[in-house]
Amino acid sequence: MRRLGEHRNPLEAYDAALVSGDTETIKSLVGEMLSGGADPVSVLTDVVAAAQREVGRRWQLGEYTVAQEHAATAVAISATKVVAQHVRQVPITRGKVLVACAEREWHALPAMMIECALRAHGWETTLLGASTNPLRLNQYLHDLGPDAVAVSCSVLGSLPTCRRFIEATTASGTPILVGGPAFGGDDVRAVALGATAWARDAHGAIAAMDGLPAVVPPAEPLGAERTAEQSALESDHRRHVALLRERWSLVAAATTPDADCLNSVIDVADDVLHQVLHAVEVALLTGDHRVLAETAWWVDDLLRTRGADASMMAELVDILTAAMRDYPLAAALLGAHFAVPSDWRQDRTAANDV
Amino acid sequence: MAVNPTASLHPGAQDEPVDLAGQFRAGDQLIHDVGTGLSGSLNLRRTALRLLTMIRPVLADWGMVVLPGDRPGSLTLVGGDDAGFHAVISTAAIADLELSRVLRTGGTELRHVMMDDDAEADLASMIPHPRLAAEAATMRPADLLTVGLTARGATIGALVLIRCEGRGFDARDVVVAERVATSAATALDSARLYEERGRIASVLQSSLRPPSLPEVDGARLAARYRPAAEHLDIGGDFYDVHGGKDDWLLSVGDVSGKGVEAAALTGRTRQSIRTAWHFDHCPEVVLGALNTVLFDEHTKDFVTVLCARMRRDADGRFVVDVAAAGHPPPILLRRDGRVETVGVNGTAVGMVAEVRYRPATVVLERGDTMLMFTDGVDEAFGPDGMYGVDRLLTLLPRYAGADPEVLCEAIEQDVLEYLDGRHHDDIALLAVTCGD
Repeated sequence: MRRLGEHRNPLEAYDAALVSGDTETIKSLVGEMLSGGADPVSVLTDVVAAAQREVGRRWQLGEYTVAQEHAATAVAISATKVVAQHVRQVPITRGKVLVACAEREWHALPAMMIECALRAHGWETTLLGASTNPLRLNQYLHDLGPDAVAVSCSVLGSLPTCRRFIEATTASGTPILVGGPAFGGDDVRAVALGATAWARDAHGAIAAMDGLPAVVPPAEPLGAERTAEQSALESDHRRHVALLRERWSLVAAATTPDADCLNSVIDVADDVLHQVLHAVEVALLTGDHRVLAETAWWVDDLLRTRGADASMMAELVDILTAAMRDYPLAAALLGAHFAVPSDWRQDRTAANDV
Repeated sequence: MAVNPTASLHPGAQDEPVDLAGQFRAGDQLIHDVGTGLSGSLNLRRTALRLLTMIRPVLADWGMVVLPGDRPGSLTLVGGDDAGFHAVISTAAIADLELSRVLRTGGTELRHVMMDDDAEADLASMIPHPRLAAEAATMRPADLLTVGLTARGATIGALVLIRCEGRGFDARDVVVAERVATSAATALDSARLYEERGRIASVLQSSLRPPSLPEVDGARLAARYRPAAEHLDIGGDFYDVHGGKDDWLLSVGDVSGKGVEAAALTGRTRQSIRTAWHFDHCPEVVLGALNTVLFDEHTKDFVTVLCARMRRDADGRFVVDVAAAGHPPPILLRRDGRVETVGVNGTAVGMVAEVRYRPATVVLERGDTMLMFTDGVDEAFGPDGMYGVDRLLTLLPRYAGADPEVLCEAIEQDVLEYLDGRHHDDIALLAVTCGD
């Protein structure tokens, strides 16, 4: 198999077509790479996923609108479908695997890529789409009787339902592999949630699948106190976001008559508030408080690149602390860990996939 | 029961101090664990795998489960050291073997294995697969215990267990094995019944699932389908696209009622639309015919439908004739972000003997999108009340010129987030964008 590096700048050509939303060019580019002997999994990780990270970075910098980000994702989905089509011819040599997105996970692409990568390695795959509810997962678990389940979580808000997936899957004795940016850079959150294995990317997923046990015991229950607070936060999430949006002067200060501009301020505020509240839930559920520092870094970076006043971050911390008055564990976690570590401030160029 | 009395005591075990109470506890614990542990899955093979994992090493050093196969007259063997291994054999092929007697009587057979040249042949009478028998022989087995799996009055299979040298099955172990088998048999039988029903359901269900969309020259299509009972994958809403060359019919509809009954009617409705379209391509005629057919069925159900005939002209534009039967009209999202609702309405089909539908005609220029949807979208009831068409009209302009896939995803996400975890009705979306 030829390595991708031998192609003349495939990423550059791909990126150019992605910016112009040129689906046809993307499809033929990916088709050429594959017929030229490129490894399908590398096409996914080194081209499609790499370009998606770049899209995320541009959104973070305010260079892309949400609609543009979605359009780029649509192009990436058609690129992935070309790879999926290509790997259908690989004979099935391994067991059955169910690939799913947890509920509230609307990024369908990573799961599609994982499905595609596993199919390329001889797994018989079944893909459930974006935001799958636990009942539907259960139905497929019993009907299909898969040898494993693989779940992708991009957003922090999907980790609580991912825990429900882990409970349902392990209750049937089936091993469950998890991955995606919401789990962070190591297996700490995955282990805390009771997953059987964690993978960094598609290559990691392929390797991890071979090491899964045939049968696993049901996941251990999580700490009652933390879980109770997390589920209270989850059910109050909408109310908290509405309340904080009202109190945070980021939106109130934006008095622009331009609807698009106002919308983008509201988008940023909502993204920040969702993200921060979900980070608190994840810290409660997994005990991994690093998620708070990571989120603080992300928020701080987003506010800076969007030219928000420097006081907005401090104000956010204040209103959050006030809002968490009835949640003692959450308030303690926020107070102790929701801050940008000073040594992270040096390196502002690193991309962050949140 | 045919327990071999010679095997009840074993030399070698007597010299060591025996923690009898501990063994009792381990046996009881295992029986309890099997009872609760196997209830988690309704899949036959997974339940068998789980059982095999639980009994090793407490009850046996090696195990195999014999289960009914997919087809009548076949058996499935699951077990051995490779958890992924399973094989299908025919019932006829084992008719003369001792295993077949256990499968007929549901009894217990314990045999002491002599490790001589005949050991493998000996094992083969209970382990009718060369690979599994060879694997079992390498364990240097002392005892081979076979227990029938009997549930709800019928023996559905057998549990075959091996213990290695120095650790045979004593009378108490046999009792534990029998009780484990009794617990497991009920769970395995439930899984068997579930799978049998599941096979029937999945065949019927596949004809009611949303269809995959065809490639339409000069246009891009996208659809979303989220039934109220999400786990069933089918519901009372439907969409369909058929036709060819430059003349297509798009339909979206909603059957009164919910769940499986409603889904069955969507199948008949889709078929009737296709048949009517075969005779006449005008959407108003298609709806008129559908109305007559469904009215004549005398069902209490009615159906709301939107039919759009789409023809490409020489300039690559699409001329769309839309007819509606009690269904929310389509929304046009122009390339520049303007939104407009197509002015079309009519009576739902299946309620009145004869209805004349009046079509409206719109033109899709390059980059324009027509969105068809069901009331699961606008009537979604969240914490802040009804989602409403206005909210949809406000959302759409941000996606002007976007791929219809992007648009459908954005709407689905917006509606579900608006619901904030509340129950929703069936939701169907079908969008077509002019231009490749």
